[in-house]
Amino acid sequence: MSSLPVIQKMLVEEFGLSPDQVHPDSKLEELGVDSLATVEFMFMLEDKFKLKMTGEPVPIKTVGDIAREVDAMVAKQGIQLDAGGQGA
Amino acid sequence: MRRVVVTGVGAITPLGEHADALVQALNQGISGVRALETPWVGQLVSPLAAPVTAPVENHFPKLRRLMLDRVAQLSLLATREALGQARMDFHGDAGLECGIFWGTGMGGATTLEQAYVESFLNHAARPRPSTIVMFMANSSTGQIGIEYKIRGPSFTYSSACSSSAVAIGEAFTAIRAGRLRFAVAGGGEALLTLGVMKAWESLQTLAKPDPEHPETSCRPFAKDRSGFILGEGAAALVLEEASSAEARGATILAEIIGYGNTTDASHITQPDAGGQARAMQAALAQAGMGPGDIQHINAHGTGTQVGDISETNAIKQVFGPWAHRIPVSATKALHGHLMGATGAVEMVAALGALRTGIVPPTAHLAQPDPECDLDYVPEGARKLPVLDTVMSNSFGFGGNNAVLVARRYLP
Repeated sequence: MSSLPVIQKMLVEEFGLSPDQVHPDSKLEELGVDSLATVEFMFMLEDKFKLKMTGEPVPIKTVGDIAREVDAMVAKQGIQLDAGGQGA
Repeated sequence: MRRVVVTGVGAITPLGEHADALVQALNQGISGVRALETPWVGQLVSPLAAPVTAPVENHFPKLRRLMLDRVAQLSLLATREALGQARMDFHGDAGLECGIFWGTGMGGATTLEQAYVESFLNHAARPRPSTIVMFMANSSTGQIGIEYKIRGPSFTYSSACSSSAVAIGEAFTAIRAGRLRFAVAGGGEALLTLGVMKAWESLQTLAKPDPEHPETSCRPFAKDRSGFILGEGAAALVLEEASSAEARGATILAEIIGYGNTTDASHITQPDAGGQARAMQAALAQAGMGPGDIQHINAHGTGTQVGDISETNAIKQVFGPWAHRIPVSATKALHGHLMGATGAVEMVAALGALRTGIVPPTAHLAQPDPECDLDYVPEGARKLPVLDTVMSNSFGFGGNNAVLVARRYLP
């Protein structure tokens, strides 16, 4: 179960982006999501999935990069995502 | 020395979303004071404030809002209106010749209070990553630059209630000296938070609510005055060098001709008539005017017992026999005390009077005070036969006094 659908939904709800903008390959910078907004979003994701980011800087350039980072953390921290991609 | 003119004004205040709405509401005696509608209002001694009721957030996309405290949103909206009226776009080279001069008392108070609340209530909580850039005092200044691509020098002034009057005065000074061609000058404030309001209550300078007519609770220069009502909002002026404005065919709204800035050096809260008088005298001297030349004063007029007597005495000291002939209006009775934004808001009101020839009233002044015996225009807005020169007073805690003088522009 990938976190991608939830992340896409959150980008739409929290940042006001349209659903057709938030493909896995969409570049965050081109969406207007700068580095500070990305950090804001990672904080939101920590709350959403109840996970803890490592704090080590990782290169996040696209929507897909965010999902890969979250999925890696979810796996590492043994968090189960339910069918809706929510952290349980 | 260069001449400095105003080519755009903007204001978002408790009296409406535009500068014209402010001027009209003041002349009609409409009050922006009301009971706050928030979950924590019951924790206050008085629920009264003068909030901006316009849907401020709706003007910004969610992603943009992420970095904007309410004070920055208000500041951007006031600036947008002023730039629109001036028909100025700074995305090109003109942006390099424009400075930003912005005043605020507390910066992003809402953001800071939110971070404190989260941190104190939940030890594991982390404030949002944008907290710092939203509450820092120069946040609005920076955001104005970003939004409108203004790339000259920028300055942030914080001298409590005179902050934005100082910002306008310093912008005027820079253009007058030839250091800049354009400036956006003004200020914003958004501090209607529980912690800030309770702190003001402790200082005991806020007006006691009138049980029957709460909207009339602030009564500057009246015998039964009891203090001011906290407000929020922002106001902006576009200033530019006169020949440049003429060359581009701009509509010139007024000319700024004098600015005085002094420090009481006596007490952190108690006003000093001497310091206030020196600021008025300095502004008059720079304007090349005598006491008989000012036809209207927008007073600081907060409605505190001590403050209104001090300002009355200062005006008498400066204007002598002319003091009783000058219509003096305290518009805070209606728009509230917008702290760091109030000087700019009242300058917009004074320029509105200059444009229309009508001075706004000092509302809610039914009981005269023998110690405040000037002409405060208590009866309602008044059309003057001649209104060419106005003064706006702003005096801040800390003892800073800033006075601006403007006149109708004659090429």
